[in-house]
Amino acid sequence: MTPIIEFSDVTVCYDGFPALDGVSVQVGGGAIGLLGPNGAGKSTLIKTVLGFNRAEKGEVKIFGIEMPARAIEVRHRLGYMPELEVSSPKVSAVAFLTYCGRIFGISRVDALERAHEVLNYVKLGDSRYRNMETYSTGMLQRVKLAQAILHDPKLLLLDEPTNGLDPDGRIEILDLVRDIAARPGVTVIVSSHLLPDVQHVCERVVMIDKGKVVHEGNISEMTAPRHEYCEIRLRENDQMFVAAARDAGFECARLHPSNTWLVRLSQEGGAQRLFGIARDCNTQIRHYQPARRSLEEAFLQAMIKE
Amino acid sequence: MPIYTKTYRRYEGQPRRHFRWLVVIEQEMKTLAKFRVFKALVLIACLHIVLRLLQIVAYDVLAQDPNHPLQIVFANLDIAYIGPDTFFSFLYLQTTIMFILLLYSGSGMICNDFKNNLMEIYFSKPLTWVDYSLGKTLTLMLLGLSVTAAPGILLVVLHNLLLPGMETIQASWWWPISIMAYSLAIVLPTVLCILACSALLPSQNYAAITVIMALVANSSLGMLFAGMLRQRDYMAISFPLALRRIGETVFGDERILFTLSWKWCFLYAVVVCLVALAIILRKVRRAEIAA
Repeated sequence: MTPIIEFSDVTVCYDGFPALDGVSVQVGGGAIGLLGPNGAGKSTLIKTVLGFNRAEKGEVKIFGIEMPARAIEVRHRLGYMPELEVSSPKVSAVAFLTYCGRIFGISRVDALERAHEVLNYVKLGDSRYRNMETYSTGMLQRVKLAQAILHDPKLLLLDEPTNGLDPDGRIEILDLVRDIAARPGVTVIVSSHLLPDVQHVCERVVMIDKGKVVHEGNISEMTAPRHEYCEIRLRENDQMFVAAARDAGFECARLHPSNTWLVRLSQEGGAQRLFGIARDCNTQIRHYQPARRSLEEAFLQAMIKE
Repeated sequence: MPIYTKTYRRYEGQPRRHFRWLVVIEQEMKTLAKFRVFKALVLIACLHIVLRLLQIVAYDVLAQDPNHPLQIVFANLDIAYIGPDTFFSFLYLQTTIMFILLLYSGSGMICNDFKNNLMEIYFSKPLTWVDYSLGKTLTLMLLGLSVTAAPGILLVVLHNLLLPGMETIQASWWWPISIMAYSLAIVLPTVLCILACSALLPSQNYAAITVIMALVANSSLGMLFAGMLRQRDYMAISFPLALRRIGETVFGDERILFTLSWKWCFLYAVVVCLVALAIILRKVRRAEIAA
């Protein structure tokens, strides 16, 4: 199957400075997170997919179509939600979306119909006739999402979709994005530096730092249980237990801010020995489970490796 | 809960793939029509057209009717006479209102899209920088020509209808061509200069002020040189007077302001147009193709 996005050794420069440096990545279907610190090259990668940035070196193919030579053909199947706040003063959301639809070549009647439909979907139905200059940041964010999905794109590029949103608004937008990503045949790329956002929506992540892809894989694999580590919580006598466990050769670390301890089971039968130590310290292990690595840890590890 | 609040439908239609600049024109016109100032300016432009209409009716109907009591008045009134000068003076007077109308409509056309971060949205869709630039330019061109060339040509047609005959046709067949040529000469540079300032500057006000300042500075400079060096040809530095010189040639007007050939003035207009066009295309292209 042809990958949706295919970058082969792509270098993109801004005034000689490489914003993307020899990036090779392939993206299939589903929801994919683009993670990286500020200035890592996430937005540059998205703009290269759109054909705004031209690769100095390497090859970019979207839906198997060469970019940027056939950018217009590709843009028919793309939806893009930019990072910056967008507004069209003196124009209502319905009029703005109808215009966006007409740019896609959708007939006037169809564009108007879809504008209403999509605005209802992003929960802006009640405010659709108001001028956009009266909208809050959250509402403008919804308009941005609405214009991106208006023409039912096969590839949706979302650049920091939860920027400037309150917690409730953030969850609502993320739920919408997850719902869109669940539609068959739709690929969603979410670029963000907020790891929980990506974890909420995506199945895969591509981590970028300093213009290079430093890691890519499934979130479930990255955060799979690690059997050499366990999380335990004790009834009492934490310090005594930890001292005894350390004497017995276990590595222990407290997981802040809770009273949970992360213990490395370096030996065979380690779990049984831990329970023995607890008994000797006159306490009980009330919680025991193999430790999972958080996405944050995986991200930090990838950044440090680089 | 109705189904449409839960999801949105697949789009099964086949999109049209041509003439996206037409969509840009349509949208710009719709947006402009919402502004009261714009409507007022169009109305003012129409007032002059109505006055010229009355002038044509007075000359073609009243002055030609020997039985009409006002015939003697209009037949001997110089300003009621209909000739090429009539249309030249119509366009020359209409230039001011056309300039204000275009300045109001066009000074924010590109810079507001930049300011509101709309460029990324537009160019993420199948709209090219050529479509965008063409759409904006043609919107202003249509506006400009709709208060200059269009009423001018209609007035010529009306003149021929009210005063039918070979004599009228022979005298006036070239007037529409002159009207179109002079209208283009005044509208095109105005449109391109306004859009160039709009593309260059961060706000509508800055763009409008810059256009006015450039015009005032350039006219003052022309007058200053002409006065100081006692040579009227230096008036051609003033862009409005250079355009007027083209008009004088196009309409065969003999009351010329200065003797410098119209070709130099035409060249001046062409250079201004090319520079402005280069600025617009460069700025808009950079919005689509950033690196």
